[in-house]
Amino acid sequence: MRVLFFAQLKDATGCNAVELAAASPLNTAQLWTELLQRFPALAAHRPNVRLARNWEYAAPDAIFADNDEVALIPPVSGG
Amino acid sequence: MEIEIQLTDQPIAENFLPPTQLGAVGAWLEFRGVVRGEENGRIIRALEYEAYPEMAGREIRRLLQDISARHPCRAAKVIHRVGIIPAGETAIYVGVASPHRGEALALLAEFMDRLKQDVPIWKRHALPTNIVGDDVRSLTLSAKKPETPHVVSYKSLDEALLEIRTHCQPLPAVRTPLAESFGRVLRETVCAPEDLPPVDRSMRDGYAIRADDAPEIFSVVDTIHAADWKPRQLKSGEAMRVATGSALPCGGLWVVMQEHVERDGDKLRVVRRENSTNVRLRGEEVRQGQPLVSAGTKLNAGALAILATVGNVNPLVSPRLRILHFTTGDEIVTPDQTPKPGQIRDSNSILIRSLLQNFPCDVEQDHLPEDFEAAKSEIANRKSQIENADVLLVSGGASVGETDFTRALLEQLGFGIVFSQVSVRPGRPLIFGVNGGASVLRSSTATEGGSVPVPHCGIGSLAPPNKVRVAFGLPGNPLAHFVCFHFAVATALAGLTGGEPPEFLRGQLDEKLDDKPCPRETLWPARWEWNDATLRLHLLAWASSGDITCLATANALVRVPANQGSIEKFAGVDFLPVMSMIGGG
Repeated sequence: MRVLFFAQLKDATGCNAVELAAASPLNTAQLWTELLQRFPALAAHRPNVRLARNWEYAAPDAIFADNDEVALIPPVSGG
Repeated sequence: MEIEIQLTDQPIAENFLPPTQLGAVGAWLEFRGVVRGEENGRIIRALEYEAYPEMAGREIRRLLQDISARHPCRAAKVIHRVGIIPAGETAIYVGVASPHRGEALALLAEFMDRLKQDVPIWKRHALPTNIVGDDVRSLTLSAKKPETPHVVSYKSLDEALLEIRTHCQPLPAVRTPLAESFGRVLRETVCAPEDLPPVDRSMRDGYAIRADDAPEIFSVVDTIHAADWKPRQLKSGEAMRVATGSALPCGGLWVVMQEHVERDGDKLRVVRRENSTNVRLRGEEVRQGQPLVSAGTKLNAGALAILATVGNVNPLVSPRLRILHFTTGDEIVTPDQTPKPGQIRDSNSILIRSLLQNFPCDVEQDHLPEDFEAAKSEIANRKSQIENADVLLVSGGASVGETDFTRALLEQLGFGIVFSQVSVRPGRPLIFGVNGGASVLRSSTATEGGSVPVPHCGIGSLAPPNKVRVAFGLPGNPLAHFVCFHFAVATALAGLTGGEPPEFLRGQLDEKLDDKPCPRETLWPARWEWNDATLRLHLLAWASSGDITCLATANALVRVPANQGSIEKFAGVDFLPVMSMIGGG
């Protein structure tokens, strides 16, 4: 699955997207485990980040499948 | 509804034509958000905006559809610019067309609030001040990143407030009798059910005649007392005796003051006609359908009087909040006790209880032992009490590790910690936790399409599904309590009730602030008063967050930007007014 980073999360990860190869669909906790393993610097941001799946905010019990587009949304500040 | 949404890296046009051929559209409202040239005393040349375009467009559409279910709208156009935007230029343009202006204004206000919470667009960098004029333009064209960008810290006061607003969405509204609605937040716009006045009324004691009637002599055919309703088409030459406030028998009348006639039996001679008709026309005050009190208004005496006038005796309002407050710390004794060495009297309970008077709520207060295992079994005994509370407040003790204690306690209760520090003094170790979560609420308020999945309650197990509860761990010192309540707890309570969050106002310092630069923002206790027509702020002395003497006189919290140091006499500053309990807050 493709995982996108925005705003300060780009600084934390050093990239704006990453491909995660997951053997099976992941729940929220598993997804975070994968991400934190790869980008430990995300840990500090985690409490403030909302997850999006296929261009909608994901529910806490969402399942992220291989063909999903996932995004980490830090606090927004548009307008 | 027609919706047009654009994200563009080009400047937004100066003018847009209002939509045509939309039928019953009475209001075309336009809003432009522009890049502010100054923030916290720092000059800003430009801001860089970033978006997640696919999702931003969908979120904007979803918000518009959701809000227009409550505030009807025929067409909406939203353009958000991204990339580098010079100060003074438009970052967002919103145009909405609605049947009435009240709907358009309400829709726009709510849309902008929610855009700033949910739409994945970010202000990233403020350009340094040495990049000016044409340089900004060339940067825009080449989309080149500034070399030394200032990255906005997301643990700032503003970010903390954004988090609180995001998580504290309005609780379900309830219909409540007028007498219990004072201080509640109205949750639906109340419109006039009929014209006010409902018929033409006389404004004078005198005689009603046809406005197009020329003769001097009339015959008096009837008398209308103040409470009478006698519909009748007056003929030429007929007059009716009326009193101030009388409902006139038909339209198109003129009232001649009784001082300007001579009466003899049924005969009436008009000796003088004024220019004024002395008639208050039907609908002159309020037209049927006109919004009278907007959703989001905190109901004060005047607003309640209007609701009574139009017979809205059970308005849809925010529920009475249930608030549970625990003090912690074994060094605390009740105020009626004499503290032994090492002990202090509990001032936080009465402080919190008094500040909560600004919000219609039920408050329960209790004390938890400092031993974590003992505290755990204490809260286990109060499971239903805790489950029923909308807001949980925990005052930290002054003991070492209070933050960890409160944090562990909230996690034990099933709260997910959103943040545990804010870059502000006093009040840095402020903890904010949520049980439920923003996404739960969003799904329960979504109306159309049904595409948003209904999730289970996220974290913890105590809260029933879809019920969101929030918790604050307040740093133990009274001054920190006072500050945290005003910026954080009050923002949460406003969010849960659907009201306006506390707003920073502008005033002028009455003397120079001499202070060392602090890496955190400061909310400095102060006293404001009018000096001539200027709002002057007098800073009060405080040495530490345990310093409470200033609380007796403080009526403002002045916002001193991070790294500011001194501020000159008469400089303009932002401040948060202290709650006064007037008008229910």
